[in-house]
Parts: sequence; C-alpha cells; structure tokens
Amino acid sequence: MKSMKKILGCVSIAALSATMATSASADVNVAYFLEWATPNQIAKVEKTYDKAMGEKVNWINFASGTAMTEAMLSGDIDIAFSQGLAPFVNAVNANAPIKMVGVAVVYGGANDCIVSNASGITKENATELEGKSVALPLNTMADFEFRMTMTNLGVDVKKVKLVDQEPADAAVSLVDGAVAMACGYGENSLSKMKEAGKPMLSVPEKTEAGINSFDIISVTEKFVQENPEAVKTFMEVTEQANADFAKDQSKIAIIAGDAGLSVEKTKSQMAGFSFPSAEVQLANYFNDGGKVAEMLPFMGKMFATEASPAKDDYSTVVDSSFLK
Amino acid sequence: MFDFLFEYRGLIVGTIFIALIATVIWAIFYGRNLIRTERTDAVFGNPERALGGWHWVITGVSAILIVWIYFSWDAARAFNPKAANELCQVGKLSSAINPIRSTFPLDDGFLKGTSLLVRENKQLNGLADQVERLGFSDAEKSKAKETIDLMRKAIIGMTSPEFLDSATDAKFKEIVSKIDGLTSKLADQNYPGDPTAEQIAAAEKNPRWGDSGNEIPAAPASPRGYKFDAAAKEMKTIATDFSKIRNNNSNFLAQVEKLKGQIASLDTLVQASPGTDELLVANRADFVKGLTRVLRRVDDGNIFPPDALNNVQSALVNLDKEQKNQQGGLRYYDALMMPGGEIRAGSNSCSEQGSGRWLPKPSDTLRTFARISDPEIGYKGYPLLWYKMKPFGEMVDFIVPDFISSLVPGHYPRHDTNGIVTPNFKSKVRDFATGNFESFKVPMPSGHVWDSLLRVLAGLFFGIILGVPLGLFMGLSRFSKGFFDPLIELYRPVPPLAWAPLILTIFGIGDDGKIFLLFMVAFAIMVISARTGATGTHLSKIHAAHSLGATNRQILRKVILPNSLPEILTGIRIAIGVCWGTLVAAEMLAGTTGIGFVENVARKQSDYEIIWTTIIILGLLGLLFDLMMRWVIDKFIPWRGKG
Repeated sequence: MKSMKKILGCVSIAALSATMATSASADVNVAYFLEWATPNQIAKVEKTYDKAMGEKVNWINFASGTAMTEAMLSGDIDIAFSQGLAPFVNAVNANAPIKMVGVAVVYGGANDCIVSNASGITKENATELEGKSVALPLNTMADFEFRMTMTNLGVDVKKVKLVDQEPADAAVSLVDGAVAMACGYGENSLSKMKEAGKPMLSVPEKTEAGINSFDIISVTEKFVQENPEAVKTFMEVTEQANADFAKDQSKIAIIAGDAGLSVEKTKSQMAGFSFPSAEVQLANYFNDGGKVAEMLPFMGKMFATEASPAKDDYSTVVDSSFLK
Repeated sequence: MFDFLFEYRGLIVGTIFIALIATVIWAIFYGRNLIRTERTDAVFGNPERALGGWHWVITGVSAILIVWIYFSWDAARAFNPKAANELCQVGKLSSAINPIRSTFPLDDGFLKGTSLLVRENKQLNGLADQVERLGFSDAEKSKAKETIDLMRKAIIGMTSPEFLDSATDAKFKEIVSKIDGLTSKLADQNYPGDPTAEQIAAAEKNPRWGDSGNEIPAAPASPRGYKFDAAAKEMKTIATDFSKIRNNNSNFLAQVEKLKGQIASLDTLVQASPGTDELLVANRADFVKGLTRVLRRVDDGNIFPPDALNNVQSALVNLDKEQKNQQGGLRYYDALMMPGGEIRAGSNSCSEQGSGRWLPKPSDTLRTFARISDPEIGYKGYPLLWYKMKPFGEMVDFIVPDFISSLVPGHYPRHDTNGIVTPNFKSKVRDFATGNFESFKVPMPSGHVWDSLLRVLAGLFFGIILGVPLGLFMGLSRFSKGFFDPLIELYRPVPPLAWAPLILTIFGIGDDGKIFLLFMVAFAIMVISARTGATGTHLSKIHAAHSLGATNRQILRKVILPNSLPEILTGIRIAIGVCWGTLVAAEMLAGTTGIGFVENVARKQSDYEIIWTTIIILGLLGLLFDLMMRWVIDKFIPWRGKG
C-alpha cells in the first residue's frame, strides 16, 4: 500500500513537471493540415523556420480548422497555417481573439462537390437533388462550397437532406450509393469520391460563378502583440518557400512525404492550388474592396447563428502589415 | 416565451444563488443534528446506514448548481451587470500595454533583450562548433572565425551603454514621459473630460452583458470606462512609438556594414573552392546562410544596454499600480466573482476567456434550451422533441413486409386502352403492405431527442434479447463457453468508435448502423453479466431443487434465472449508461438527426450554450433511465443481496 502511494506520488509529480515544462517553453507552435500540400512544407522539413526565427517551431497537425481555433484559444497554438475561412469566420463571430495575417492557399478544385454517377444528376437537372441526401462536413469550407453551388444552380438547400460527415466518411457514403452527392476536401478523400462520380461544377465554371476559396494564416492576438518580429519572419519564410518552389519543383517528394500523400496526388492537388505572393495579396486580397474585404462579411452572414451573430466590421481582425 | 423571465434574470439568478448557498448551510446543520438525534445502532458496513439522507441529495444538487453559477460568472453578472463592460475597458488598456509590457520581465521570464542575446549567442556557438567540421581551408577557417568574433562584438556594441546614441536615449525618455503623463492622467479625476455625444450614443446602444451573441458590450458607458478607454487609445500610440525604437548607434551600424562585407567575402571564398562532397558543400552553404540569418536578426536592433530601459520599466510599473488603483473595487470583484478566467479585449470585441467562455451561464443555457425546444425553431430545422401527425399507413408499411404481395398468385393489373387501371387483389395487397392507402393520422413523437432515444432503446433491446440467453447458456454449457468465449472476449475490449469506419460501409448512413454500434456495446455487457449471474448461483440451491425432483428446465427457470436476475439488471443499468456514452460517437458517423448530431454541429461553431444543452439532456435522460432501473430492481427482485 505504501509503495502504491509512492508510485502515485511520483507519477503525479512527473505529470506536473511535464505540464510545467511544456507551458514554460518559448517555442512557436504552428497548426497545419495533413493531406494539404503546400511549398512551405519544404521549409518545415528543412527547419528553415526554426533557423530563421531562432526558436524551435513545433508543427502540430489538426483535423479541422475549428480544432485549430480551440487550440489557439487555450494557448497551445500561436499560428494556424492554412486555416479555412469558414472556421476563422465562425471563431470571429464567437468573439475569439484571433487575427488574419495573410493568405496561405488559393484553390479552385480542392474543395469540391462530387455528384455520383448512379444518381444521373448533372448541373442541368441539379434540382433533382431536392429530397435526396448529400454528405458534407457542416460549417466548413466544403459547406460554403455546397451552398454557393446550390444557389448558383437554383437548388433549394432546405429541401436537400444534409448528412454531416467528415470528407473521408462522406467519400465512403458516396461510393456506397448512400448519398447522391458528397462535398469535401483533402486529396485522398476527393479522389475516392471521384471514383464514383464527377464534380458538379468544373473549376472554370466555379470561377465564373464567383466561387473561389482561400485558406488563411491566422495568429492569436496575444502572440502577434508580443512577437511581431516572429510573425514577420514566419511570413517571410513562407513567401520565400513559395517563390523557391515556383522556380524549382524538384523537392515535391518532401512535400508529398510531409503531407502524407503520394507524389502523383500531391502533383494533382497542387495543380489546383496557387500561392499568391505578398505583392499579389496586398494588391488583390487585402486592398480596399479586395477579396478579403468582400468574403469575410459574406461568410460571416452565412454562418451567423443566434448565439454568434455576424459582426458589423471585419476589418479589425485583418492585419496585412506583415506582408509589407 | 421565457424572454419575459430573461428580462429579470439578474434578480432571479441572484436570488437563486443566495438561496442555494443558504440551502447547503441549512442541510449541513440539519445533517449534523440528525446524526446527534439518531438512535439506531447500525454498525459500520451495514447498508442501513446509507438509507435516507434526502437532505444530502439537495445539498449535492445545490453544490453543483452553485459551482456552475459561480464559475460561469452568472453570479457575477447577476450582482453587477455593468462589471463586464468596465472590465472590457480595463482589458483594452492592458491589451494596449501588452506590446511594451511583454519586453520586460514583469510577469515571468527574462528581459526580451536578454533572451534575444542568449538565443543569438547560442546560435553563434553552434556555428563556431561547425567551423572545424566543415572541411574549410585554413584561410576560410580564419575568415569564418573572424566573422563570428565580429558578430559577437557587434552584439556587444549594442549592449554596452557607452555606444548607445543620445537620439535613442532621448526616445526612451520621451516614452517614459508619455507613460508618466498617462499615469498622472489616470489619477486625474476629470480625465478624459465629459464624454462626447457620439460616445453617449454608443453607450446607450450597448446591449446588456450577454444579451446578444456579442457577449460583452464594448463601448464605454461609465466614468471609469471612459477613462480606461481613453487611456487605452493613448497607450496604443505610445506602444507603436516604442516598438519603432531601434538600437541604431553608429558604432553598431558600422559593424553591421563591415559584417555584411565579411559574410559576402566568405561566401565568395566558399563558393570559389566548392570541393567534391555534395553534402559538405550544402552544409557549408548552410553555414554561411546561418551567419546571414543571425546578422539579419541582430540587425533588427532589438537589443539594448541592460539598464537602458529601466526607466521605461519603472514608468510601466507605476502605470500598472495606478490603473489597478483606478480599478478600485472592480479588481476585487473580478478576482472574487469571476474565477478561472478573465475578460480579454480583442481587436473587434471583448470576450470572456477561461471558464466564462466554455462554461455558459445557466440562465443563458436555459434560454437557449427554451429556444431550441420551440418546435418551430428546433435545431437545423428539426425540433428537439415534438410530435408529428403520421398516417397510420406508414406504420403498416413498417410492420408488414412488402414481399407478401409477391406471394399472391396472378399479375399486377395493366392499364387499359382508356388509360384506366382496375386494381385487383394482388395490387390491393401491395398497396396495403406499402402503406399506400387512405388512413387516419396518429400523433407520433419526433425530434432529435426522440431519434436518439429510439436508437439507444433499439440497441439495448437487441442486446438484451440476444445477450442474456447467450450469457446464461455460456454459464451452463461447456460447449458454448468454450466456443463463444474467445469471440466475445476478443471483441468486447474494442472501443466502439474503432468499429465506426466498418459500420459506415456495411450499413450506410441509416439508423441501422448506429443501432448496430449500440447493440455491440450492450450485447457484450449483457453476455458477461448474465454469465456471471448464472455461474454465481449457489450450488446448494441447485442441489436442493434437483433433489426435490425438478427438471433441467425447471432448475433453469425457477432457480438459475431468478438468481442471475440481479446481475442481469445491474448489467442493463451499466449498458444503458455505456450506450448513452457511445451515442455521440455513433451519431458522428453520419449526422442527420439526434443529440449527438446537434453537439457535433454546434462544436464547429464553438456554440457552447448548445453544447452544454446537449450534455445536460444526455445527463438527464441517463439519470432518468437509471432511476427507472433502480425502481425496477427494487420492485421486482427484492431478494437482491439477500441470498
């Protein structure tokens, strides 16, 4: 009994010191996604971030942008790389003290709605979706994609039966024929969906319809207040990694390995991505009436709920000064 | 419909909070009194001692509610509804101070300059270690060492006070005087003067604390609020000025220029003699890059002589003292009534952080619960629990299998030349079996809660129906024990969620998959408990029955089953609990309806009020089931624990 007590005591002391150690470290903690190939993963693997910032950079992968926000609020994450606009807007509506400092990825086909071949539905007879089931992760960029597509094709969203599923599960449902359409992201899930169906809209059609999405780099307000130079360096390294990759794609295997994708899938995913330079971001995204100023209030209204209504002004949560 | 009550929530919550505390105190005294007056001589270990004690039930419930009201800051809001708004203004000031404050060792840690210095020196030491290992020629080696030494000197150029130029010093003095100025303004009663008309209008437009989703009204609305708000604005400009100050003394700049030339010449030297080993070449290029990076960071000029910022620090400490002083009673209210978190000012709004964020206030939760209980609103267009008029035919369709119409001989009728279809007996049977006939409507429950309930009950039902006989069988027969034991024991420890991917592709997105998942959970528990019950029967009882001439079947029905009933019912109690626990996971597979679905969707919007509503619903339903089971156990197996 006595030894038991001793063991328990040791364990609790060890646990306590472990938590103390983690909370006392001055590392920079960055959240990212798997299955999401970006050039800065080369810099991540080669520790360019660590060297440039002079701090240890911990990369922690997340399954969803919402989880990133939660971790940022609890103080475990300082920077979220490639957080979706939807979870960011949801967090801002819920008064989370986080800020957007740049655009990470612009994509056309990386969020997609795939309609099954068996259903015989195309964009011409899209209204047949009414009364059928659609699998998608609710309140994410895929949800945004779905709503925009449906509005564009004149389908009444209220009459569609929505099934809340993560993209990987949604792919299974689509292949099994349980649903007529599935929306999601992530190259592995999307290519599995495409085995059983086709995208509802092609990328050019989406661009024409004004459905363009981008992922962002967000930071906690506390971190940006206390370490502005670290944020600046982070943006510079990212910018450099994007520029290097645009010139020379020989290191794609590193990205593939880090993203957990095959090289072919990485290539096909990155074909649909673009990584705007700081200049482009300032000119097209963060300018007055630019894409950020246009999208944030739009999405803010789309995802507003009774408990977290849309904000009047989203410009205060945007800080493009680190791109200059 | 509860909006009327919500108007007076402060009064209601405050009264309830005080009443709860009074209840707990009363119950403690009552309990002590009871012990003193009790004359039973039940010894320790006698279950009689645990009977009664309803006052402790009240105390327990009250204690939970007190903790909830206290830590969600509902009590704080009830007693001082204006506190959050004022603390928001205080938060604005501390958020404005933070960029300066974080460079000083005021809370914890090193002076920022110190930690930068340590960091760069560490990197330089690392680089110095590398010099020997990278196969440099002697000329390159000496050049590299020289560069590192120069870099160290450059850093010393920043830390030694003699080099600090007067312009930088003057800037620090200016910051100090500005902060001191702000401190005296804070102390001034008339600062910042009367609020402007716009400010008053904004203050009047403020909602109450927690009225809308914008939890905390941001516009200042009290003299103290105006003061802190104005101070925060001034502090912001001071902080911006401060962050622009760089250690740009001429000595340091000259050294940086020299270093740039030095690194460039080292770079050309290294590139001129590439060597053959590719890895080595890359490492040497990295070495030069490393030097450049350190230079770039040192170049920022964020390191100052150790005592250069002392005045700024003491000015900041004074400001901190004064602002705490100005907070007055508010500070103690914050510490006492709003535990486990703080009100933080963001760029857009003020928000509750800590337990105030993730633990919603009981009054808000109740309102959310009332709102989504309204069948017109519901959640995602589906009510929580309501009824729906359903035609009787649907139930016939559900019960009568469709294939019976195929069993009727003959063919389905065809349309004639006039386009009229004359039904025959076969088509009529089909219409009946598919529920395709005019029928009266009956009210049927529907909604998220009902759907979840149905899934749990169905899973439990199949678990009991199949699990209990198998368990008894396993307790009595060598064959079935040997045959089924490995199967059951192998699958039992697997967590239900591990089955999820399989269940999705086998059963699809319908209810059957979710029910199957719950069935798997219930089944294992029922088998184990029935088996334990069967094997736990006293041999003497079985012998007695046998010698009185009972048949095997009679022994099973009259001796073994009654004896294992307590175990089985306990098993059901456990199974219900575990099934509720698995429900959220099961409904995550393919969310269409159900409490788990509500929670999963609300989670993505950080809607903690709805999350807690679902948690409470799950808890209450679980409790309800458990109470029912306790009643059943007491009523139907009074022999429990006495055999």
